[in-house]
Amino acid sequence: MADKSKEGKEYPPIVWEVERGKIRELAKAIGDSNPIYLDREAAVKEGYKDCPAPPTFLTVPMMWCSSMPDVINDLKINFAMVLHGEEEYEYYQQIYPGDVLTGKPKVVSVEEKTSKSGRKMDMVTVEIIYTNQKGEKVAKARSLLIERK
Amino acid sequence: MAQEIYYEDINVGDAMPELVKGPIQKLQHVMYAGASGDFNPLHTDDDFAKAIGMDGVIAHGMLIMGFVGQAITSWIPRKYLKKFGVRFAGMTKPNNTITVTGKVTDRRVEAGENLITCEVVAQDENGDVKITGHFEAALPSRG
Repeated sequence: MADKSKEGKEYPPIVWEVERGKIRELAKAIGDSNPIYLDREAAVKEGYKDCPAPPTFLTVPMMWCSSMPDVINDLKINFAMVLHGEEEYEYYQQIYPGDVLTGKPKVVSVEEKTSKSGRKMDMVTVEIIYTNQKGEKVAKARSLLIERK
Repeated sequence: MAQEIYYEDINVGDAMPELVKGPIQKLQHVMYAGASGDFNPLHTDDDFAKAIGMDGVIAHGMLIMGFVGQAITSWIPRKYLKKFGVRFAGMTKPNNTITVTGKVTDRRVEAGENLITCEVVAQDENGDVKITGHFEAALPSRG
C-alpha cells in the first residue's frame, strides 16, 4: 500500500531539453497532423514562435526522466496494481524547441478510499511544476494514481 | 489546423467538432511508447498482459488523452488553452475506434480574460466511455 508518510515529499528536479524532433514524434504517435506541431513555418504563420508542444507533451519528461516510476517505487506502491486515474495540466505559457524544462515533483496527497463495491484503494496525487531556462513557470501537471489493494 | 476563433462566436451548448480515431493498431501503442517514454509492457507485450490476467495489451491512457488534445487544438488554437484535465474511465483495446466529442458548458469574463469551459468525452464504437474531461481556454475578443 502507498506510504502515507511520504505525503508532502518533494523529489529531486527532473531536467528536460525540448527538441523539435520529440514534439514531432509525439504528434506523429498520436496521429495529430496539425501542421503547427510538425512545421515551424506553419506554426509561425499561426502566431507561434516555433512548433509548440502539444497539450499532453509533459508526459514525455515525466516518463523519460523516470519521475513517475521513481515516485511509485519510493511510495512502495505495487506497480502491477496501479491505475492512472486522472491527469490534469495547467498551462502558463507555450513550450518550444530549445526550452530547458525543470520539473519539481511533489506528492501532494495519499488518501485511502473505499469503492462502491467495497474495495479499498489508495489515491496518490503527484504534482510537477515546470519552469523554463529563464526561471518562468510554464506549466503544472497533476496525476492521480490509484493503487488497488 | 485551427482557424482563428473569437469569444463572441462561442455559446454555451456549442459542440466541439467531432474527431474519430482508429481502429487503433498495436503498432500505434509501440509508437506511443517510444514517443512518450512509457514502456510499461502492458501496452506492447500480449504475453505480459495475459500473464497479469488481461485479454491482451491495452492502449496507453495518455494516448487517448492525446486524441482528446488533438480534437481540442484542431478547434481552439493551442496558444489559447489554459487548463486540460481528464479522468480515465475505461480501457482501450486494439481495433477500438475512438470518437472524441465535446460541448461548451460555460463562458465568462474573468480578470479581463474571455474564458470558455468545455466538457469532453472519448468513447469507443460501442459507446463505452474511455475518458471524461474538461478544458478551459482564454479567447481573443472581436471588440
